[in-house]
Amino acid sequence: MPTMAAKNTSSKTDLLQGTLDMLILRTLLFGPAHGHQIAKHIQRTTDDVLQVEHGSLYPALHRMERKGWIAAKWEMSRERNREFKYYRLTPAGRRQLSQEESRWKQVAAAVARVMWSGREGEV
Amino acid sequence: MPDLQRELESHLAIEAEEQQESGVPTEEARYAARRALGNTTLIAEDVRAVWSTGWWEEVIRDLRHGARAFRKNLGFTTVAVLTLALAIGANTAIFSVIENVMLRPLPFTAPNQLVRIFSTKDGVPLNPNGGGLHGGPSVMDMRDFAQSNHTFQQMVVYDTWRKNVSFGAGQGEPQQMWVGLVPGAYFKILGVKPIMGRLFTKQESYIGKYYVSAISAQLWRNQFGGDPAILGKTIRINDEPYTIVAVMPDLIPGWMELKPVQIWTPFGFADALGDTWTEAGRGGRGWYTLGRIKPGVSLEQAQADLATITAGLAATHPVDRGIGVELEKLSETRARDLRPMLFLLMGAVSLILLIACVNLANLLLARNSARERELAMRTALGAGKGRLVRQLLAEMLLLSMIGGAVGLLLAQVGVKALTSIHPEGLPQLSSLNLDWRVLAFTAVLSLTTVLLFGLFPALTGARVNLVEALKLGSRTTTSSSAAQRMRRVLVVTEMAMSLMLLVGAGLLVQSIYHLQQQRLGIRKDHLLTGHFYLPGVRYPDSGAITRFCNHFGDNVRALPGVVEASVTTIYPPNYNWTQMLTIDGHPATRAQDVPTTRFGLTDAHYLRTMGIPLIHGRDFNESDSEATPPVALISQELERRYFRGEDPIGRRVHIGPPEFMHMPAGADITDSSDVTIIGVIGDFRNAGLTSPPEPQILVLYAQHPLVNYGFKDIVVRTTSNPQTLVPEISRQLRALDADMPFAQVRTMDEVVESETGSQRFTTALLALFAVAGLVLAAVGIYGVVSFLVAQRRQELAVRMALGATRTAALWLVLKQGLAMAASGAGIGLLGAWATQKFIRGILFGISPLDPFTFAGGAFLLLAIAAIATLIPGTGVMRLDPAQALRQD
Repeated sequence: MPTMAAKNTSSKTDLLQGTLDMLILRTLLFGPAHGHQIAKHIQRTTDDVLQVEHGSLYPALHRMERKGWIAAKWEMSRERNREFKYYRLTPAGRRQLSQEESRWKQVAAAVARVMWSGREGEV
Repeated sequence: MPDLQRELESHLAIEAEEQQESGVPTEEARYAARRALGNTTLIAEDVRAVWSTGWWEEVIRDLRHGARAFRKNLGFTTVAVLTLALAIGANTAIFSVIENVMLRPLPFTAPNQLVRIFSTKDGVPLNPNGGGLHGGPSVMDMRDFAQSNHTFQQMVVYDTWRKNVSFGAGQGEPQQMWVGLVPGAYFKILGVKPIMGRLFTKQESYIGKYYVSAISAQLWRNQFGGDPAILGKTIRINDEPYTIVAVMPDLIPGWMELKPVQIWTPFGFADALGDTWTEAGRGGRGWYTLGRIKPGVSLEQAQADLATITAGLAATHPVDRGIGVELEKLSETRARDLRPMLFLLMGAVSLILLIACVNLANLLLARNSARERELAMRTALGAGKGRLVRQLLAEMLLLSMIGGAVGLLLAQVGVKALTSIHPEGLPQLSSLNLDWRVLAFTAVLSLTTVLLFGLFPALTGARVNLVEALKLGSRTTTSSSAAQRMRRVLVVTEMAMSLMLLVGAGLLVQSIYHLQQQRLGIRKDHLLTGHFYLPGVRYPDSGAITRFCNHFGDNVRALPGVVEASVTTIYPPNYNWTQMLTIDGHPATRAQDVPTTRFGLTDAHYLRTMGIPLIHGRDFNESDSEATPPVALISQELERRYFRGEDPIGRRVHIGPPEFMHMPAGADITDSSDVTIIGVIGDFRNAGLTSPPEPQILVLYAQHPLVNYGFKDIVVRTTSNPQTLVPEISRQLRALDADMPFAQVRTMDEVVESETGSQRFTTALLALFAVAGLVLAAVGIYGVVSFLVAQRRQELAVRMALGATRTAALWLVLKQGLAMAASGAGIGLLGAWATQKFIRGILFGISPLDPFTFAGGAFLLLAIAAIATLIPGTGVMRLDPAQALRQD
């Protein structure tokens, strides 16, 4: 699994972009969050396996905002006395998430078959 | 993007805070946060890229590039834009006329149900020359139509009369105005409701004793300052007070009656003619009509319905024999006479457009071949074919926008000009304006023109042969021979089309000339005509009218500068009062055999004033009076047609329908009197300029009290410019009656000109278009020859170096230009020949294949082409072979 921390330019392959998008969408399923929270959440839940590079995160957020999957709004943070740009999931984003998810499942299953079916035969 | 800046800052802040919380010192925490965030500029750029890669941004980039390219090549840009603007302007202007008078829905509710009803006699429409709109059935026939039909909601018969109108003391001079004599239903049918007041009642419309009137909002504003208490005030019409009962909105356009009507009174005539609604009026046709057919009923059904009723009427009433009925949609009557002209003009501007398109395509081809190296370079640097085509198309788009905008401006100016010079009798043109339909037309036109004719050059431009274009020397342009052949074909095409325009304009100009030079049968120079009206209130009988007219005639004749003058009801070239005759000794037995003639009432000075020759017999003289037996003059055409070689002098003629037609007493506007023929006079035009003279009879109004109406004209023959006498004649009229306006004052030349108004209008426009076409074609051939010269520089230099003379070299170039022009001329002549059937109908006195016009047009075209070729050709004469050869 290549990390998200790969260089900005090389992270622009379809799979990775789609994956990051999916992870962001999934994160926002729990409720609105700002960029930092999203990055931290992904990092924490994957036990720091996936490091979200900010150079990828912000363009991705804006790209998804433009596509209408997520909506953004400046709001006051309750914990910190500061305004943050909060992103939330739109219905279109919700649909996109379920699509990405099923696609990811297919890909993961396909990869798994390639990786492990041969070994089984070896045994 | 300040939003992103803020977002990143908030991110930094929270990152730093977190670092601090884990014990890192403030300063260090900030650096760590920044490190973690990475290159913010890069992020900002990436985010901007996310937001800004819209297709429109690329289009704008292409447009900007195009604008730069156009600025760099101003000569090309100017010619291209002007070419386009000229064509689009002309097309938009003509289309706006067509749109205004043919396409735009009428300004009335459910306009498709509105029709006019016309009468025909033996299948021929009544009154085809008299403007055509008032050729309706008689009031009695209309009443029977109204009662027995199953297809109409409502129908009315109405009329317009010129009357003396004054608005009371201190409201200016009395003036002659057109007054609409309409029943209230006229407005109801049109769906026009009064701004204030009420429509005329049925009673008012039926019996001629109600002195009520409606005025237009325009009149209300201009004459009464929009007085809110206008209702109940009176205006004087023909010296009788009429109470204003309504103010009508300005919704009824001038083409409805072919004249501006701003005052309406009920149709039941309140003066002069007595009761209109009697059997006596059965044969009196030629009114205006208007009807609204029921929803869902077709024109054909309504036509069939009325035809059935008409057949019944013809069986019952002898005067209705041979009479038919014809319906026409009101929207159709709007364009009427203009229709063939408009189609012709549309054809002309289409040709202009084609010529412009050809020019444009040519220009672009030339430009692209000059740019081949640029395009090749861009291809070499990685621009795809699609990218290049898009670039070129964006340039075309830009061109079409600029050309369209300038064209629209030109059209606006053109339409303004058309509106201000619109000839009398074409009220359709008095209120032209550009609306969204016209704008849409222009937009579509400029876009399709440029894209269609720009696409081909763009595609050939994109098909760049990299190696060839880059390999060749910088001064030589390469252009595939296919593209060159294409350019020549295009020039030949535009030559052909401009010759077609030229021939068309030439034919029309000559046609107008023939029309204007038509022998009227009178001396038309130094002749003034003017109209006046003697209201029945103050001139109650024929005697009073005769006395006034004689007096006025005498006073005018006494003026210095006046040779002769005559008070009359008739002057050429068009006069519609027709009467049936019974010639003693030749009784007609069938309705269709009854002789008919144009009927005119004059005084004894008519022949001398008009310059009409007396062929034999004697002229009227002063001793012919009320007291002596009525006498008449007949035209040679009448003699030829109805006396068949017998001498008419001394013969008695009964004016009016023959006995067997059982006309009710007083039927038609007939005086039913007997006259003795005393002389035969030369024919003069009485059925319009384009028709041969109809039989004509002249009698003295003094001897025919029943038809000695208050409508009179005076014709005055002068020694100098007749216009200079107008104030004096007008003064003489006022001296006799202070309230009498002298109206419709025109010289006979102007009268004749007004008869040809729409033709002259069309001809002027067509001539303008022909010139425009010629200029465009000249520009086209100039461009191509210049290009050829530039291309053949080296070849010519070599030839000269080897001993060819400059003249020989010049001839080489000229030959190419003239060959194109000659083939263009040949095809153009064929084209003009092919369009003969479209133009034949509007030509007068000249064949649509007139050889002189054809030859003259071709010659002119060749001459212009030769000049346009010669200008770049002189470049050859200045060519220095040594230098030209050194360049490579």
